[in-house]
Amino acid sequence: MNEEELKSLKVDKSVDARGTSCPGPLLAAKKAIGQIEKGQIMEVLSADEGTRRDIPKWCNKKGFDYLGTLEESGYFKIFLRK
Amino acid sequence: MANKKLTLALYTGSVDKLTAAGVILGGAAAEDMDVDIFVLLQAAHAFKKENAMADEYFAEIIDKKDEFLASLKRLNAPHWTEAFKTAKEMTNVKIHICGFAGKVWHGEKLDDFIDLADDICGIGEYISSAEEADINLFI
Repeated sequence: MNEEELKSLKVDKSVDARGTSCPGPLLAAKKAIGQIEKGQIMEVLSADEGTRRDIPKWCNKKGFDYLGTLEESGYFKIFLRK
Repeated sequence: MANKKLTLALYTGSVDKLTAAGVILGGAAAEDMDVDIFVLLQAAHAFKKENAMADEYFAEIIDKKDEFLASLKRLNAPHWTEAFKTAKEMTNVKIHICGFAGKVWHGEKLDDFIDLADDICGIGEYISSAEEADINLFI
């Protein structure tokens, strides 16, 4: 998805993991994914550069759709669909 | 499909390597891997109840120990025992204390070690686990 599409997404679950370092955001995403239904959208907020690369790989392995990442000031918003 | 399996042998009980092990465990937990941890010689010292949270840690690079510990605090990174506990809550992690290693540090019973430990085992179990593992690490 492009930046405009990502910005207009209706997010069903937001996970703020900016206070944790690797692998904290990934584990926060893993915990939260159980709380949404298939087809719903989750965003993960992370200040960790590694997470930006880990989440797409994790999605690929677990069968979720990685939708894209927005770079904010000092952190990333990473979007995926379960 | 069966979960993939990680076999992790911990040789050193240094706080920096155990912290690394905790990060690796987090990655394995995110992917629902089954994990067998074997606590070998020096690592068994760190797993004893009186040592796990002690202020005087071993470190691989001893003159960087204070900087390392300060950085963990700055980064809000959990103590290795917390990282191990989180992984155990999220996926199937079994922690085996090598019986010989336990005895080296006067730990004869499971109760001598932190609650994260599941059992005391022999080296045959490590070999069997490593044979079956998709990833086998010795650190």
